[in-house]
Amino acid sequence: MKGYDGVVLTCPISLGYAKQSPHGAAWFIGSVLRELVKAAGIGKQHVDGFAVSSFSLGIDSAIALTQHFDLRPRWIEQANMGGVSGIIALRRAARAVQCDEASIIACIGGDGAAHRSFEATAANFSSWSVDAAFPYGAGGPNAAFSLITQHYMDKFGARRDDFARIALDQRYNANHYAGALLGHKRLTINDYMDARPIAGPLHLFDCVMPCAGGEGFLVMHEDRAKQLDLPYCRILASDELHNSYADDPVQYRSGWIDYMPALYDRAGIGPEDIDLLQTYDDYPVISMMQMEDLGFCKKGDGPQFVQDTDMRFDKSGSAVNKLPHNTCGGQLSCGQAGSAAGYLGITETIRQLTNTAQSNQVLGARHGLISGYGMVNYDRGLCSAAALLSGARA
Amino acid sequence: MNLREKMQRRLKLSRPSLRARARPPKQRSPLGAQFTAANLPTALALQCCDACGHVQYPPTELCGQCLDDSLVYRQVGTEGTLLATTALNHSLWEYYKRRLTQNPWLIGSIALDAGPVVLAHIGENTLKSGERVNVFSHTDASQQAVLVAVAASTDMSTPMARRNIVAGMALDVPAHKEGGL
Repeated sequence: MKGYDGVVLTCPISLGYAKQSPHGAAWFIGSVLRELVKAAGIGKQHVDGFAVSSFSLGIDSAIALTQHFDLRPRWIEQANMGGVSGIIALRRAARAVQCDEASIIACIGGDGAAHRSFEATAANFSSWSVDAAFPYGAGGPNAAFSLITQHYMDKFGARRDDFARIALDQRYNANHYAGALLGHKRLTINDYMDARPIAGPLHLFDCVMPCAGGEGFLVMHEDRAKQLDLPYCRILASDELHNSYADDPVQYRSGWIDYMPALYDRAGIGPEDIDLLQTYDDYPVISMMQMEDLGFCKKGDGPQFVQDTDMRFDKSGSAVNKLPHNTCGGQLSCGQAGSAAGYLGITETIRQLTNTAQSNQVLGARHGLISGYGMVNYDRGLCSAAALLSGARA
Repeated sequence: MNLREKMQRRLKLSRPSLRARARPPKQRSPLGAQFTAANLPTALALQCCDACGHVQYPPTELCGQCLDDSLVYRQVGTEGTLLATTALNHSLWEYYKRRLTQNPWLIGSIALDAGPVVLAHIGENTLKSGERVNVFSHTDASQQAVLVAVAASTDMSTPMARRNIVAGMALDVPAHKEGGL
């Protein structure tokens, strides 16, 4: 696979996180676009590529938004694939810029959160879900992931206090990130263990809070970013693989296993060189699965790995190994803003690698790994994607 | 009734939590409706491909293996192995919310010997993952076919036996609310 030479990511924007919002998806997407052009110091007429991800656009699509926002893109993409939509948009946009199909592409994920809208999304998520999953208890994603979590615990001996390590360190990170919806609340091991049961092994703090919000970034040529005097980061390598290991009766691994060795090869670095990791944390077990599949530990060693690893952004934890993980708190502490959640890891990594994160800055971070997972069509998440980024001076 | 009262009443009626009778989710795709119809006369009928023999679930229009357009519903074996179970303490649907107030609602995933992995209601709270089970279909209170798993030793051979299991779970009756609309 060819590299992404000369293409950079810049201007990370996260805005508008709210538990409920009167605004629709177009408001969040348009607001991110406004902040993107403001941050880049360009006019919106200079944005000639437009990639959008959203669950709640309803009958509108990306093309309708070009008329809403008076854009003239010569390149357009809509990636509605939940937790991987950000990396999908990044990959498609990077190739388009590399091939001069567009010069500045805005990649934006945004979703509203109207009263009771999550119920509607969960009840109508996919035709397989409507026919064969939702009627069974109507637990939404909690039901599917409680089965995956229970199976993982039975298979590898993981316990609730292992999952707590992920949730607690992420909450500590969120306590230092202003955009996190739950960032004002501390979370202790007792809070976690005593939380209200939701589904089987899943308790309240294993579950994300659905919310509204928007995330976005710009993809452009390196020369253009220099000309505009924008801090940026590069894409070392990225890959994706979907519906892999379909024969596993219950999911405990996914596509990352297949392409990670080649991905690290292309980037010329290994897991030990990663300064920060952003996994898609819709549930802690999924983050643990990604740590294993991304090569940080062997399959099944996830529980021990998180016990031995300090995942705080400032490395202030007591564990010996350090791996800042979901440094803005992830979805577990920021809230899950629909499709924007698939962009959260990317915007956060760009902030970290360009040294523009505020009080949750990881010092001296050079390499960041972002991983995406998503779309529970029936009983498991189908998508997997990963992108390795580096700061401009790395 | 003035406009304000009218709108308030309309709002009330659109809130499932205020209704006297709550039922399980009724919504299905056209393929799900076919699944219900095909399962009325039998314990378990799934789509089978006439071209390659693949057993398909959830229902689709084309065979997921060979993409042939020859799926037909046939009676299949009810035996399977329980992969994982979970007890739901939270639900997005009013019927289950009411059922949950007494006991958590049990569901599980089962690998059928016939091939596919299915999600099903768990009929007995003693079932553990790895156990052998029988999975059968039955009509719920929304008149839709749902799958129910019981221990391999439980008798489910007759329609009466299956009806009694479903009645024991109160799946065939709405969840009532005193004084509801």
